[in-house]
Amino acid sequence: MRRVPHAVPTRVFLLLNISLAIAYFICIACFFPIGNPILFGVLIVAEVFHLWQALGYVHSVWPRRRLHRFNRQFQPPVAVYITVTGEPADIVEATVRGVLAMDYPEAHVYILNDGLVAGRENWREAEAIAEQYGIRCLTRTVPGGAKAGNINHALSQTDEPFIAVFDADHIPKPHFLRAMMGYFVDPQVGFVQSPQFYKNYAQNLVTGGAWEQQELFFGAICRGKDGSNSAFMCGTNMIIRRSALTQVGGMSECSIAEDFLTSLLIHQKKWASVYVSEVLAEGLAPEDFLSYYKQQFRWTRGSLEVIFKYNPLFRRGLTVSQRIQYLSSASFYLSGLIVFANALLPLIYFFTGLEPLTIGTMTLALFFLPYIFVVLYTVQLTSGFSYTFRALSFSLSAFPIHLQAIWQIIRGKKSGFVVTSKRAVAGNHGYLVAPHIVYIVLVGIGVLVGALREGLNPSILSNAAWALVYVASFVPFISAAFQKTTVPREDTVGVTEAIEEAHS
Amino acid sequence: MSVHSRRVPEPSSSPTGHSSLLIGWVLVGLMGLATLLSVLIFAHTSLRLDEAQSLFQISRDVPGVLYLVAQDVHVPLYHLLLKFWTILFGDDIATARYLSVVFFVATIPAVYYLGKLIFSRRVGLFAALLLAISPFMLWYGAEARMYALLAFLTVIHQILFVQIFKIGRGRYWVLYVVVAILGLYTHYFFGFVLLTEAIFYLFFRKHFPVRSLPKFIVAGVISVGSLVPWLGYVYKLGLASNTQPYLGIPSSGDIFNTYAQFLFGFQSDGLNTVIISLWPILVLAAFFTLQRKKQTSPGSVFVIMLAVLPVLGAFVVSVLIKPFFLSRYLIVSLPSLVLVFAWIISIYPPRVQRVVQLVVIILISGLLVIQIANPNTPVKEDYQQAVAYVSSQSKAQDVIIATAPFTIYPIEYYYHGPAKLTTQPIWDRFASGSVPGFDATQLATQTQTNVSDYRNAWLILSYDQGYNQAIKDYYDNHFQQLTHRQFSPGLTVYEYKIRYDPTVSIK
Repeated sequence: MRRVPHAVPTRVFLLLNISLAIAYFICIACFFPIGNPILFGVLIVAEVFHLWQALGYVHSVWPRRRLHRFNRQFQPPVAVYITVTGEPADIVEATVRGVLAMDYPEAHVYILNDGLVAGRENWREAEAIAEQYGIRCLTRTVPGGAKAGNINHALSQTDEPFIAVFDADHIPKPHFLRAMMGYFVDPQVGFVQSPQFYKNYAQNLVTGGAWEQQELFFGAICRGKDGSNSAFMCGTNMIIRRSALTQVGGMSECSIAEDFLTSLLIHQKKWASVYVSEVLAEGLAPEDFLSYYKQQFRWTRGSLEVIFKYNPLFRRGLTVSQRIQYLSSASFYLSGLIVFANALLPLIYFFTGLEPLTIGTMTLALFFLPYIFVVLYTVQLTSGFSYTFRALSFSLSAFPIHLQAIWQIIRGKKSGFVVTSKRAVAGNHGYLVAPHIVYIVLVGIGVLVGALREGLNPSILSNAAWALVYVASFVPFISAAFQKTTVPREDTVGVTEAIEEAHS
Repeated sequence: MSVHSRRVPEPSSSPTGHSSLLIGWVLVGLMGLATLLSVLIFAHTSLRLDEAQSLFQISRDVPGVLYLVAQDVHVPLYHLLLKFWTILFGDDIATARYLSVVFFVATIPAVYYLGKLIFSRRVGLFAALLLAISPFMLWYGAEARMYALLAFLTVIHQILFVQIFKIGRGRYWVLYVVVAILGLYTHYFFGFVLLTEAIFYLFFRKHFPVRSLPKFIVAGVISVGSLVPWLGYVYKLGLASNTQPYLGIPSSGDIFNTYAQFLFGFQSDGLNTVIISLWPILVLAAFFTLQRKKQTSPGSVFVIMLAVLPVLGAFVVSVLIKPFFLSRYLIVSLPSLVLVFAWIISIYPPRVQRVVQLVVIILISGLLVIQIANPNTPVKEDYQQAVAYVSSQSKAQDVIIATAPFTIYPIEYYYHGPAKLTTQPIWDRFASGSVPGFDATQLATQTQTNVSDYRNAWLILSYDQGYNQAIKDYYDNHFQQLTHRQFSPGLTVYEYKIRYDPTVSIK
């Protein structure tokens, strides 16, 4: 038996966090005099969401003792799938070499080549690599289902009882299979997931921000999800039991977040999941802002689709913890809506004088400051002090992406899977942060308008300070967008094209 | 390797000989700066009410000092030290203030050392700098009261606590108890320091040396027990309070005002409103602390607790039991606050760190200048100018009336003229008992008693205890106001015509 380590040291702060969150919400909702009723309603919705996210986070990271069976001698045959959709040959080749170097008695390696159906000119490169290394290349000729369809096609061509999946840019370490397969000795385990690690995180502002955002998820959150048997597949660096996958009809082709939805379906069938909190493979973060933007859009769109179409609250077979965890993860992408609403409040005050509450700014501070300080400290404490201002900035600044995804869902537009670019898309992507720049300009004008109307009174000053918090939080995101990417790429596309491509 | 298994090594605290010498010189420079500012500016301002009280209390022999302090709301260590200090060096107010300056200046290297112990030399040094230019510390560091001594003993006690936490040698325990006793005999609020340490111990006891719990219990019992004789003495005297000021129930704004005062000093209402209205900036400051592997050590939790708990504790007790929320009583939190401040800035990326440090230094220095130069700085009490004005204008046939009664201390310190000096409500200071309260039904009688034999009355209103306006209104309605002049916020002199008798010429 292997005992799952939990780095979360204290329940005290988690309880304090929740207590303060509830106390703050009750004060806001019940005791403070209401200003403009519509703005008050918006504020309450935002606070309900914050409270839900806080509860979800605490539920995730709450220390639990979940023991996993593990047997290093359990070494059945494994099919190793490398999903390729026209990625550069050198990247695919590096992954193939890494896969072949894995120390495991019976691992059969397959390149799952979707380059042809995706219309990539270099689709033959994957076959050439397969031939060079003496492995099978399964090239699809009939499109459909994107990455999920690619895996499902491979499932029909292979028969190993376990399937390890790697994206084309994720290179496993030699002991990957030995560190993961032992968990399948428990016949209830349907899949085992390990973290994604971006080895290029120090390359530029985009890769750094992308990794720092991921670090919290693949650290405290995934470890916590493992504690409540709610860890879900993340598309790569994972191993799935074939019988579990076939029981749910293969990888779900109904969603662009196929890994997330398939995990939910597998959990519904009472399979267990395991998260191994050890970096066992190294991948690449999106190197340019456009690719990052597209990746975030896909994740947002896919996760929100789960809420609207496969809401975990109403799915049979899930435990309460699993419902909470799936809903909490999926609803994270609604945070853009809340950030947007909160960021608008100071602007509305500057231009109209309307505010949701009419309490003294000091009274609000008395309740809010302890709450936010404890929230930030709890995040740091539970994440092993790995969360950064840049990660927060990227999360807060992603609101236009979230809003765009929500709008597409509301309009009912279909969406397709777009592989995140493994090479930097050349150019300056500053236009993607136009909403943030407009916000900054409006804040400048708004402070002037408000000051001319009321003078520099406490309300104007407090709202200006709030707006400054948002402006400063957007700065790293804006800097990343304006960072020039010099690596040329033939298929450079704009965001509109990218999203249209996603819809096609 | 786990993605979260990496740990940052503890910051080095062992300076090389060269840097150690440099730090030594920097500290000497900071102490010199603080001394210079204290002596040149703050030691030569007007005597303030509390200081006059100190001088009055130490004007007796030692049993008399103890008797007067016991009737007050304080404990006697500082007064006894001041008593001997003035015997040695002189009993004028400037000399009395230098005693506080000594403790204030000594607190600067102590804060550096504490910062070095808990965080790093850089943090300690920046905290020492913040303390040296702190408008709040410079104000109370040169006041003939116990607050500088209280801050100094607090830091020393923290150092000993951290040493016990880290090393746990026997001599630290002895010193720990001795300083605790001195602290408790300096100010009752030192109890908040002990309470905070106890709470910290409760949560972090596993980090302390083995078998530390019985030692802490014994240390606590001895420290707190040492106060029993004094409390018994106070109880025996009937818990009389001669000069206890009226304090209202604090609001949430008072908490922020306290921290704003700690960091930015005493500013006019307008400027203070600007400062505290910008509180959301604190959220941004907290956001900036989100840096990879900048872990919070138990030591940093300790200073955060000491920066926060005494203020919150005093607030809660003031709201629930009895108001005693005064920022100067809470000076025990100030050294920890500057340490927390310096530490938080040290977490920022180096470039941001340098910019923020520079901005903070410029901001605090600028506000220090404003505190010094602005005549409307709230804590200023210019009794010296007020009394000089009354002295130059009053005659022997006049009466000078101080309201509130205990403000007679600073007035009589400066006033050496022929006019009669009295208070309203009328207070016989040489009779045992507390300051008489205001009684509206006695207003007419007491006013007649005070002014009936005199030509002009000089009403000096300060330290409003809730009835200054009633007294002024009575004088306005019954006598002709001739002049009025404000000398500092809340300190105004009114001249009233009482009689129109012709001047008698005696030959």
